[in-house]
Amino acid sequence: MTELNKDLFELQIADDSQSEHIASPQYSYWRSVFRKFFSSKLAIFMMVLSLLVILLSIFQPMFSGYNPNVTPNINRPEMKYIRPNSTYWFGTDDVGNSLFDAVWKGTGTSLFISFMATFITTTLGVIIGMWWGFSKRVDAVMIEVYNIVSNIPATLIAMILAYALGAGPWQLIFALSVTSWVSTAYFIRVQVMIIRDREYNLASRCLGTPTWKIITHNILPYLISVIMTSISRDVPSFISYEVFLSYIGVGLGQQHASLGRMIQQYSPYMTSTPYLFWIPVAISALISVSLYIVGQTLADASDPRTHMV
Amino acid sequence: MKRYVLTRILKSILSIFAVVSIVIVMIYTMIPSDKVFDNDAGAKKMKGDQLVTYKMRKLKELGYQDYASINEMCIATFGDNAKACSDGDEAARSQAVDKYASKGYAINTLKSGEPYAVHKYRWYELLGRFYSKLLVIDNVNAIKDEENPDLERKYYWGKNPYNGTPALLCSGCTYKYQLYFDGSFPFIHQNKFRLDFGTSFPTSQGVPTLQVINEGQGPNKKVEQNFETGLTEQSALIQTSCQYKFKTDHLDEKRFNDHYASCLSYHESPSMVQTSYTLGLIALVIAYAMGIPLGILMAQNKDKLVDKVGIAYINLLIAVPSLAFIFFMRSIGTLFGLPDKFPQLGFNDIRSYIMPVLILALLQTPSLMMWLRRYMIDQSNADYVKFARAKGLSQGEIFRSHILKNAIIPIVNGIPASIILCISGALITESAFAVPGMGKMLPDAIKTTNNNMVITLVFIFTTLSILSVLIGDILMTVVDPRISLTEKGGK
Repeated sequence: MTELNKDLFELQIADDSQSEHIASPQYSYWRSVFRKFFSSKLAIFMMVLSLLVILLSIFQPMFSGYNPNVTPNINRPEMKYIRPNSTYWFGTDDVGNSLFDAVWKGTGTSLFISFMATFITTTLGVIIGMWWGFSKRVDAVMIEVYNIVSNIPATLIAMILAYALGAGPWQLIFALSVTSWVSTAYFIRVQVMIIRDREYNLASRCLGTPTWKIITHNILPYLISVIMTSISRDVPSFISYEVFLSYIGVGLGQQHASLGRMIQQYSPYMTSTPYLFWIPVAISALISVSLYIVGQTLADASDPRTHMV
Repeated sequence: MKRYVLTRILKSILSIFAVVSIVIVMIYTMIPSDKVFDNDAGAKKMKGDQLVTYKMRKLKELGYQDYASINEMCIATFGDNAKACSDGDEAARSQAVDKYASKGYAINTLKSGEPYAVHKYRWYELLGRFYSKLLVIDNVNAIKDEENPDLERKYYWGKNPYNGTPALLCSGCTYKYQLYFDGSFPFIHQNKFRLDFGTSFPTSQGVPTLQVINEGQGPNKKVEQNFETGLTEQSALIQTSCQYKFKTDHLDEKRFNDHYASCLSYHESPSMVQTSYTLGLIALVIAYAMGIPLGILMAQNKDKLVDKVGIAYINLLIAVPSLAFIFFMRSIGTLFGLPDKFPQLGFNDIRSYIMPVLILALLQTPSLMMWLRRYMIDQSNADYVKFARAKGLSQGEIFRSHILKNAIIPIVNGIPASIILCISGALITESAFAVPGMGKMLPDAIKTTNNNMVITLVFIFTTLSILSVLIGDILMTVVDPRISLTEKGGK
């Protein structure tokens, strides 16, 4: 047993700054979101799949230069209705064009419409919904507008608008967004109203925080998961919507390639040349499902309450 | 409560008018009027002045514009002294033309040199014209027939020729049977107040749009019936639908004592509304019969295998475009020998109904299951559930008689909407199976610029959806007395 001597000890100075430091694990919101998201194997797989589809639909048409109005093989019967093989992966269509080129061009258009409509709907919906939820005066007016608008079958108006405006992607985007932003705004309004009167916001207001800062710093972060949920529902639903409108013949016109229009055009060929019909259908289902699952997982991951380990 | 319902109804009427007005203005001003003639076989055979005149007349008939040829201008300007003007007197003609030009008409000339006047209706004129003739009230002075000056003008009691129940009849009105009763929904029928949406064009030309939707389809069906002259024969006529006929023939005289001989007919197949309704209602029952037990099962086994499979099913059905799902199911149906088109086997074969009904039902289940599960799980943490458990009730009992009763309330809210909106038909399902129902009507009407039909359908669908939301809310207060639709004091 050794004697206790001074050499065994070290002199510590009481450090006041140390006591200010909180010894908890470092928390970063976005790092937690990504950790949570990448813990789901299905979501990673679906994300890779949807990225692949998006990239293909952007770059493949650049190389193929596909245009539905250019039909060089229209008078060559041997080029038509070729079954899928190693040269023509998805076969050729009724005018002798490669279906592979057509499908990716169409997917691009459908994705573009869906993303644009979601973007417009979400931006408008969030901004107006915030304002709506925050101001009681705006609420009094908007709730009446909503009561009138929400009663209207939106499909009806979208159909008539899409037809009245003419057959183009931008017209379709307009028709889709104009009928759907109200429901997003209403959804956000309800969420804002729930959080608006919480104690921490009351305290913040008592301390003199300007309304704008309360919205951006106290409320918006809380809403991220809600907005993500809304987006993850919107993107596939707009793809379905485009497919549906084009299928019934009021969406995009002949000069545009889109999944909906291809499905509509090839539905009579279902028994004779089934691949012409089923490939676009399968691709549209593939995009919707993968984007939906990615969106849902991201929405779950962006909810701070799921970050507790 | 009464006051609330009253203001709610007023607001609903306001929104119906708002929607219908917007749609009217949109389709008359935003869609190029030339599209009307895209599907018109008559216009394709004409050219030159004949075509221009035909188009102008048709557009006037369809309510786009007012149009006057030089002859009409002359008659409107000079009345009985129009002869000189019509014959080509320059001074008189220019006077007539000037009069129209000063009223805001655009004056154009045909290739032959003849002028004509056109006035495109502005939005307020379009709305004014539509609403002024929308509601038609039948009265005893409705018929003005110069060849039948002795037409009696009176209401009198008679009886329904089919079942002998009393009926209010009218002489001098457009319709003979003003009020009558029978066994079909809604049991009390009237012909006094009618909505006039104009006639259909270019399909079913000249037939009122409401009749297109309501009348049976397929060949006429003859049934044995007694006519008022005492004649008994096999006839397809529906006597209670008879309207005044100006020129009766000897067949009519054999059947009827009066001029009311222009009747609708019985048909072999049900009408479009009825077809959609039958399909939709069966599908609805199946959907609820499947969705509610499955939702309960999922909530009871939260986070277990059943729940996970259920959630996967819900997500799949929400994410897959319904078009893809419908066609996929249809091709599965053909594997079992079911027809892929409804008309293949027709109305009288049960196999025609199986796939459309099944698809319609399956499409409704995910949201039903999702919400019921959500509500039940939310309820299962409530204090009354803990108390019930503490009392020693079994899990099954708690779920069945405690949680379900509370969780079903929001679901009840949606039931009227589902029932009423069956009428509107399921668009894609019906067009995929070529079911002759309401679902296909709207896109078809839009594509053929059948404006009156579009307006009719918009009116019907909007009214139904507004009505169903209202009934749903009222039903909710009946099921759960705690819910009040009116706000009571304080904030």
